[in-house]
Amino acid sequence: MLTRIAGGRVIDPTASRDAIGDVWVEDGRVVAPSDRAPDRTIDAAGCVVMAGGVEVHSHIAGGNVVLARLLLPELGVSEPDAPNPHGSGRDVGMLYARMGYTTAVEPAMPPVNALATQLELAEIPLLDRGGLCVMGNDDHLLQLLRDRAGANAVRDLVALNVATSRALGVKVINAGGADAFKDGAVRFSLDDEVPAYGLTSRTILNGLLDAVEALKVPHPLHVHCSNLGLPGADDSLIETLAAAEGRRIHFAHAQFYAYAAVDKDNPLTGGFASAAPRIAEALSRHPNATLDIGQVVFGQTATISLDILRQFSGRKAASPRKWIVNAGDAEGGGIVPFRYRDRGPTSSLQFAIGLELMLLSPDPERTILTTDHPNGGPFTAYPRILHLLMDKEARDRELAAHPKVAAERSSLSGLEREYTLTEVAQLTRSGPAKLLGLTDRGHLRPGARADIAVYRDQPDRTAMFSRAHRVLKDGAVIVEDGEIVAWARGRTLSLSVEADAGMARRTDAYLQGRFGAGLSSFTVPDAAFPGRDVFEAVSCRT
Amino acid sequence: MTAWINGQAVVRDEAVAAAAALLAGARSPVFAGLCAETAAVQAAFDLARVIGASLDPVAGSSLYADLGALASGGAMTTTPAEARGRADLVLALGAAPWASDIVTELAAEGPVRGRAAGRSRTLLALGGGGDGAVQHIAYPAGEAGLAAAIGLLRGLVAGRIAGPHPLADLAARLREALYGVVLYDPAEIGALGAEMLNGLVKDLNETTRCFALPLGDPYQGRAVAQVAAWSTGQGPRVGYGRGHPEHDPWRFDAERQAAAGEVDAALWLASLPAPLPTWIRTVPTVALLGEPKGDEARVVIGVGVPGEALGAALWHPRRAAIAWQEPRQEPRQEPQQDPQREPGSPLPGISPAAAILAELQARLAASPAPHPERASC
Repeated sequence: MLTRIAGGRVIDPTASRDAIGDVWVEDGRVVAPSDRAPDRTIDAAGCVVMAGGVEVHSHIAGGNVVLARLLLPELGVSEPDAPNPHGSGRDVGMLYARMGYTTAVEPAMPPVNALATQLELAEIPLLDRGGLCVMGNDDHLLQLLRDRAGANAVRDLVALNVATSRALGVKVINAGGADAFKDGAVRFSLDDEVPAYGLTSRTILNGLLDAVEALKVPHPLHVHCSNLGLPGADDSLIETLAAAEGRRIHFAHAQFYAYAAVDKDNPLTGGFASAAPRIAEALSRHPNATLDIGQVVFGQTATISLDILRQFSGRKAASPRKWIVNAGDAEGGGIVPFRYRDRGPTSSLQFAIGLELMLLSPDPERTILTTDHPNGGPFTAYPRILHLLMDKEARDRELAAHPKVAAERSSLSGLEREYTLTEVAQLTRSGPAKLLGLTDRGHLRPGARADIAVYRDQPDRTAMFSRAHRVLKDGAVIVEDGEIVAWARGRTLSLSVEADAGMARRTDAYLQGRFGAGLSSFTVPDAAFPGRDVFEAVSCRT
Repeated sequence: MTAWINGQAVVRDEAVAAAAALLAGARSPVFAGLCAETAAVQAAFDLARVIGASLDPVAGSSLYADLGALASGGAMTTTPAEARGRADLVLALGAAPWASDIVTELAAEGPVRGRAAGRSRTLLALGGGGDGAVQHIAYPAGEAGLAAAIGLLRGLVAGRIAGPHPLADLAARLREALYGVVLYDPAEIGALGAEMLNGLVKDLNETTRCFALPLGDPYQGRAVAQVAAWSTGQGPRVGYGRGHPEHDPWRFDAERQAAAGEVDAALWLASLPAPLPTWIRTVPTVALLGEPKGDEARVVIGVGVPGEALGAALWHPRRAAIAWQEPRQEPRQEPQQDPQREPGSPLPGISPAAAILAELQARLAASPAPHPERASC
């Protein structure tokens, strides 16, 4: 079926396109304008047409997302006709689709829990999904590094884990930190040693950076640094950026590191000020680096992280006063409920810093919008955040409603920049798609997957981006006037990577010894999804 | 034959049609058991959403002893493999741990990973103990019972109880361990005991490392809890009677609902062995059973046993995770694998429970209007 999306303002930063025009779709793909009469015309007059949104970092599946629901039944509760971003996978898919998002990546899939994570991802409808395989605290990897087994062995183990868990990329979470926590540590930085292995966090990070490059994984190593959320955490991010030595690196939820210690001699007691200018400046000097924001929004949420050392340290701030640390087979996970208070000085400053990071961005394609859902707040806040980025007046009104410290310790009030629609598309479409190496999305050029969002162009950008006028997934209309009209099931994207047979044998023996279960127990076969064709292969870089 | 209506063998399609009719006529159905592979449990949740059923796993009571404690205070936990690899002290609470393999396994070796590596492993028992085959130090729970003893132990560890106490030595050992693990069965110690245990473990972590390790139930309950969480946003038990999922462990207890006459039809899903409830004889029920006799319920359909007749995602007790289990039986009459067959897919002639449930959903979606007369099959 040939479809013409007619007369909308088409925004595609990858083609420098911002003009009234048409987008043509056939067989699930964007095609060049056609001479044939379309079988269907979607009237987009008065609308903005963009590629479907792409999410790079949102905790939407996995053991810790499950645990958060079990810890906080009140947070995930369902109400009639009110889908909940902390609720079921179905609600998550619905809420993303309504905002015009069509792809979402769960960034924390531990290989030991890959099957459950993939089963859960497959139950998120309307979106294409993917998971990042988490490495960096597992005994098998740390053994290889300690025994100096060589870069090829590390590469082969990473490849095997990606292939077995059917991941889209690789993530490292406070490399070695979870292991150090199990041995009693409560502080851990880049050059600290994991006690039982005599390895620094830097050594582990280096090994993984090299492996991801050697395997030509499209998505760069996705890094959660040490010291998240502490005053002086900006040093951790900057040191980690230097440690990458030019290799591609992605920093997760950078806002949570953009905290300069006010008192350098007593960093933990002197409070913090924005380090957003320092991070933006570092980003402009390092074209190898990208980040996502982890914007804070106000209200009750649950923080979910595999950084169990950090979660344990943060336990006393739990609100309500209950929390979980699961010291699992590698990272495990920690759930600490938290309420960002809109009249609270700390939360307000965090809120300002996130916006500042985006407004100071040297390149919106490299500073991707996330709330690190649900850690900074739910992803459903994106429309409001985009509104604030696009409207200086609205931003000033918002800032005036918060404690003065937010304006005093950040440069937000002085920033005049207002994001254009093209920059919004870079922040939420072309940037994240490029970052994930998904060349078939994030743009509207011929050949693109026909994942398309049509928004009514209106001054109230929050309303505009909250409920899309139309959303197409693979060419089929799934949203009309902000409501789901067709329950497409989407695919799970997994990287095609060859696992080395020798490493598979070694790993099988290792797993048998440690778990009493071999490699096949850890696999994610198609047969686990009977009656469905869930996975779609993504190629490595050439 | 693998299908029966009122105890009479019928062809499978006839039984599926009767099952669909029975459920289509129900105003308040319950899906219970749920002792099955993840794909079947998922299909049960999907079908329940469509027809407005409630769901209650056979593991419900013991599972909820843990989930209730978790929701009220949180926890600090570890896994069986981490306990084997790291623990220099293991405390087994009550009798249940001694009936599982894990105590024997933990007694057989010492820690090999982390800061306790190379130390010996001390095995302690509170309110229980083995028959002497495994060396351990036993402490009595006292007359007030196990849950109270855990509370006392927490008080001792925190220094809130002065003077000599029979458990003072146990408290000291927990504080001195580098990596302690406390084994327990939620069903045995109850929600209150689990909550006190979680508090004890959290207190210990102010100065050292100690983690709780619950023994899983044998009925896939921990896998069901995960499917429930991602399908409904909540743990079990859950009901879809009002269209959206509602979590209520009391209200959706199948046993209670049957006794109170609140359900008019049931689906019992047990592709793996699970004790049949007595109400299955009185409530019109469709039973999907891995090992059917035929007379268990109004409609009985035999389904493939996961991990034997078909590959399946199942709870793996040693890994404490949902794990892939290859089928055990390979076809004897088939010397060569059918190249068309996906690895791990069911053998020819085997009906996976998930496929039956999908078929029921398709039939019920085709005739969604409730029609009470059709329930008499």
